[in-house]
Amino acid sequence: MSRIGVFVCHCGENISRTVDVERVAGEAAQLPGVAYSCDYKYMCSDPGQNLLKKALAEHNLDGVLVAACSPRMHEKTFRKAAQSAGLNPYLCDMGNIREHCSWVHEDREAATAKASDIVKLMVERVKRGKALAPITVPVTKRALVIGGGIAGIQAALDIADAGKEVILVEREPSIGGHMAQLSETFPTLDCSQCIMTPKMVDVANHPNITLYTYAEIEKVDGYIGNFQVTIRRKARSVVEDKCTGCGVCTSKCPKKKIPNEFDQNLGMRSAIYVPFPQAVPNTPVIDRENCTMFQSGKCGVCAKVCGPQAIDYEQQDTLVVEAVGAVVVATGFKLYSIDRKPEESPIKGYGEFGYGLIPDVIDGLTFERLASASGPTGGKILRPSDGKEPRQVVFIQCVGSRAREKGISYCSKICCMYTAKHTMLYRHKVHDGQAYVFYMDARTPGKGYDEFWRRAVEVEDAVYIRGMVSRLYQRDGKIVVMGSDTLVGVQVEIEADLVVLATAVQAQDGADLLAQKLGISYDKYNFYSEAHAKLKPVECATAGIYLAGACQGPKDIPDTVSQASAAAAKVITLFSKDQLERDPVVAKVNEKYCVGCLQCKKVCPYGAVEEKEIRDRQGNLVKVVANVNAGVCGGCGTCQATCPSKSVELDGYTDEQIMAMIEAL
Amino acid sequence: MTPKKLKNYSYYPGCSLHASGREYDISTRALFKALNIGLKEVPDWFCCGATPAHNVDELLSLSLCAKNLVLAEEVEGDLAVACAACFSRLKTTQHHLKVDDEKRAQVEKAIAGPATIAKPVKHILEILVRDLGLAKLEESVKKPLFGLKVACYYGCLLTRPPEVPELDDCEDPSIMEDLLRALGAEPVSWSHRMECCGANFTLSRPDVVLHLSDAILRSAQAAGADCVMVACPLCHGNLDIRQEAIENRSQEKYDLPIFYITQLAALAMGVDDDKLGFDSVIVDPRPMLMDKELI
Repeated sequence: MSRIGVFVCHCGENISRTVDVERVAGEAAQLPGVAYSCDYKYMCSDPGQNLLKKALAEHNLDGVLVAACSPRMHEKTFRKAAQSAGLNPYLCDMGNIREHCSWVHEDREAATAKASDIVKLMVERVKRGKALAPITVPVTKRALVIGGGIAGIQAALDIADAGKEVILVEREPSIGGHMAQLSETFPTLDCSQCIMTPKMVDVANHPNITLYTYAEIEKVDGYIGNFQVTIRRKARSVVEDKCTGCGVCTSKCPKKKIPNEFDQNLGMRSAIYVPFPQAVPNTPVIDRENCTMFQSGKCGVCAKVCGPQAIDYEQQDTLVVEAVGAVVVATGFKLYSIDRKPEESPIKGYGEFGYGLIPDVIDGLTFERLASASGPTGGKILRPSDGKEPRQVVFIQCVGSRAREKGISYCSKICCMYTAKHTMLYRHKVHDGQAYVFYMDARTPGKGYDEFWRRAVEVEDAVYIRGMVSRLYQRDGKIVVMGSDTLVGVQVEIEADLVVLATAVQAQDGADLLAQKLGISYDKYNFYSEAHAKLKPVECATAGIYLAGACQGPKDIPDTVSQASAAAAKVITLFSKDQLERDPVVAKVNEKYCVGCLQCKKVCPYGAVEEKEIRDRQGNLVKVVANVNAGVCGGCGTCQATCPSKSVELDGYTDEQIMAMIEAL
Repeated sequence: MTPKKLKNYSYYPGCSLHASGREYDISTRALFKALNIGLKEVPDWFCCGATPAHNVDELLSLSLCAKNLVLAEEVEGDLAVACAACFSRLKTTQHHLKVDDEKRAQVEKAIAGPATIAKPVKHILEILVRDLGLAKLEESVKKPLFGLKVACYYGCLLTRPPEVPELDDCEDPSIMEDLLRALGAEPVSWSHRMECCGANFTLSRPDVVLHLSDAILRSAQAAGADCVMVACPLCHGNLDIRQEAIENRSQEKYDLPIFYITQLAALAMGVDDDKLGFDSVIVDPRPMLMDKELI
């Protein structure tokens, strides 16, 4: 006969308000196999845990049921308490009478009856429980960082500085991301390149960092501590080891009129190119779609002029497999396009702003390139259509953001601050120019942020108009901005020379596909989901994968760097152990009964089931059975529900336990 | 023997179409006849409440529309509406009662019966461009409107708010332009097709209306339009009846005829121009149409 202890928690009044906890404890005492029961105001508190430990010893209990909150909340707490009193922790279970009972019911009588039922069936489970030992898996102490913007760079440097190896993968030919495109940064107006490029060089020079640029993640296998990542290194057509970065090829390339993506298509680049002068690595790449050699087979100028003979037109994509123990995802963001959107997209676009057809209506990143000393205008604010200096510039905030009818309801967080910055940069370069800002709210929480915005208004004379813009159209070489001033209650019409749209921050293209490869979750906007909004902001629900930067949601540079360092700290913590302990609630195959149909392999969402051959002593194949890799198994039980011969079971959730629970009702 | 109709619609003309906007009603009936589409007026219909009702009492506004929609159930076919304001009010009522049970209960009490109002409410544009289809429409054209440059004026209510009319993109629609191209006309690209004309301020604050409507006519003229096409009797009134006052105020000469959608469509279908109410508007379109050899 079992000797189970049942402990019913009041949770202050959270449970006892709706459930008669004393009655539940009293009824539990009558259940066969229950040797002790009691109720207590806060079971998770120190005295509550001591009560449990004391009862274990005094009543010689061989199983514990705590009827309280969700096991997600306190299972660990009570298992630890039981273990310290000498019980195998997996013989301690929780019955959820808070989230599943008191919080969702009003009728006290019915809720009490339901709580008693929960206790009754959980007691049956505990009775049939088995002592289990945690599973240990080895940890590969190398990290993969995906994305070489400021988030990925910061995370990679922090992990590498802790003495661990890092593989940094970047999709573009250079690391640097969006931050490398910016002119000056809020709230201090320090030059983005000046603070960014040294970090890029640090990455290139760090002995612990392996950098793969112009590369993408092809496939991810494995689990926490033991990932195998396949990386596709796209053909650069330039042999990295040979190239000295002298730049002769780019200067001699006859095809020079290709819009430069790094300059938001304002400037031009050649077909063989380095995205920007400070690029890391300083190795060119051939844009095959625009290269005459690749399109018609006639040119070859770059190969002829290259001293070290680094040009290789025959180069193919290569696949590299790296073993890592943890992954930091830092894929960043893109801006809401002001062009027309494809028909099937839920994002509608802005017909009223001309869908990008008015050349002097630009987005915020384009303005950054205009204001940047290394940009296509050398830092002069000149409008794209005719190269004239704009006398009046209108900035429009919340374009796409906070606009449910356009498909996005969230706030993009960075626009209020960068628009204030833009008005200042404009003022600093065009002293008698006038900046106008249309805004819904000025949202400037952050250290020194509100002061920065007030400076734009009070010192730099930006005119802030609270209201939205209904339409932009061209008239006599100007852009007519039709809007409303909701504080005064009038309609406003401004003739602008240049209009800058603070368009919404969106997840990168392909963010969903990468998430599917990694097995992490994402929201309807394709931003990656953290495990807990408050308490696990850098962890994914998938163990061993961490998030940094705007791939998780709109973020400015300070927040991005903080999160990247936090993700790095999590990785370093993981790498501080040689072995990982994990929950032993995993599936086990009974090889005696398994017929090798491998239905379980088909349904396993973790890819944890493999085939195993059983041979006799002479080496003859006796049969093939399923085998579960305990390190990969997620403990979901899908195999157990599927198995036709009932020969795979989850420890802690055996068929016997579940049937006994059902029968107890 | 009359040929079998292609399709039948119930029809809610609304007050304006029986009064100041009668050309809209006349031309709608003529167009449907020419296209062999049945159009049967809802018996005993009354005012939808227009702009005043919902500004004074939302329940009144919803109840007026709900009752009209209940009456429309008596006639076969989806409900065709020409007036942009009636269209907006009827669709708004359907929307509110669909999402708000409390409002539905109040309205059902007010109209003393169940609000069976699910019948699709369709603007004439929708019937022409979607139900009939551009291909069929193009096929039916007898006198294409070649050479006619038209400023399509949507006004405020036809596409807004985004969740109600479900007619087209609320800020960048193209349904009027699509229709005109099928009729052989040439829609112009212009800036003010979604702006407000001043609407019913025409009585209380004519200065506002003159200001706003002036901007619309000015923009249409600058874009090279021969005329403006509208979907709303109130817009028509402001741009047509007030045009002389606008011209006096701004010292500009516009002389832009204002057409209803159905007038131009019926003309293209070969309906005689003396059956389209061209004689009852202020800016007479006939000289311009003759000039273009369209009549």
